Amino acid sequence: MRFVPVSGLAALAAGLVLGCGGALAASAEKGKTAFVQHGCWQCHGFQGQGGVTGPKLAPEPLPLETFTAFVRTSNRTMPPYMEAILSNEDLADIHAYLETLPKAPDPKSIPLLNQ
Amino acid sequence: MTSLRNQLDWCVKAQAILGVCLAFALGLFYVCGYRPSSHRLADLQMEIQHKRRQLNDNTSQVAVLPALIEAVKSAIPNDRKAAIEKRGEAAKKAFAEARERTKQAAALAWDASPISTARLVMETFAQIKGLDWSLVASSGNVSNWPNRLWPMEKHYHWLGASGGYGVGYGAPASVGAALANRDLGRFSVSIQSDGDLMYAPGVLWTAAKHKIPLLAVMHNNRGYHQEVMHVQRLSNFRNRVASLGGDMGPIGTSIENPDIEYHKLAESMGWWAKGPIKDPDQLGAVIKEAVAVVKSGQPALVNVWTQPR
Repeated sequence: MRFVPVSGLAALAAGLVLGCGGALAASAEKGKTAFVQHGCWQCHGFQGQGGVTGPKLAPEPLPLETFTAFVRTSNRTMPPYMEAILSNEDLADIHAYLETLPKAPDPKSIPLLNQ
Repeated sequence: MTSLRNQLDWCVKAQAILGVCLAFALGLFYVCGYRPSSHRLADLQMEIQHKRRQLNDNTSQVAVLPALIEAVKSAIPNDRKAAIEKRGEAAKKAFAEARERTKQAAALAWDASPISTARLVMETFAQIKGLDWSLVASSGNVSNWPNRLWPMEKHYHWLGASGGYGVGYGAPASVGAALANRDLGRFSVSIQSDGDLMYAPGVLWTAAKHKIPLLAVMHNNRGYHQEVMHVQRLSNFRNRVASLGGDMGPIGTSIENPDIEYHKLAESMGWWAKGPIKDPDQLGAVIKEAVAVVKSGQPALVNVWTQPR
């Protein structure tokens, strides 16, 4: 009988942790939408591949903390994005989306790049 | 008369080349830290004057340059030759590494749709590489892939850009250059962006009317992306959202909804045209068809949906 309240508390704590975790987990799906809506693709490409207008973002994006710090404080060609126009949640979702993008094929395996 | 003019032209060109060679040789000496003595420099100048006289006598112009190059090479002391060779090896290694990085960058989003600009450019090159090709314009911005990946070995392989970031330059410039190339038997190809073509589409009719063979492969990214970052920066300064999402894009820069069917536009003015191509695996075959049309003396356009840059 003694164990009942203890196990109940444990279950409650686990539920809280899982619940909070679920609410905070970034969504790659939402991130893909946010990536388009906020115009990231216009310089970095739809797959974050980069180009002369912006560096590659994926695969293997910067760690979230570094990524966020750059987006908030950039003083380069890319203007800084404040939270008022790009929320932390959207930014985390965008990062999650970038993390899902696959690695590029080995250029040696692409005949057109070895003409 | 024509023959005399040709000879005069040759003479002027050869002297110009000679001047460039002299400047290069002297530049090479100084870059390598070699300071010729005034005596040695005088010898070299005499050698060049002698070659110039030969040119003016119109004798054996073709043979002059190799001889001059040999004269310059033999004037370099052995220790400097070794230094130049060492530096050359380092430059070759750096070039090979840079080339590898470029290919790795080109491989990113290789199978993406809309089609990556690297894929667009290399699918095009695969169909023209066996021809005496000339890239007459590369408007818009395809991340400089032709210059990074195509072997630019002849002066007409790349005719440059507007010089002033001019939107609207590509289409008319490419038709003009294709007209010049036509009589020289060269195959003209352009990477034609959508926004650029909207400035003077009437030039398509001119090309068809005068049977100017030109392959226009479109970099149709459905927007005027040149202005995007400026709009974005100003909006961000004011904490305003510039991009409205969907097909709106940042204010005033999107060319969507309705999408412009450039292949139909070109067809209506007498061009062979196909599109819009969105699947990268279909692109090569369509460009191949277009190349055959251009080789028959007609202009052809392939409308390709591409990544923004």
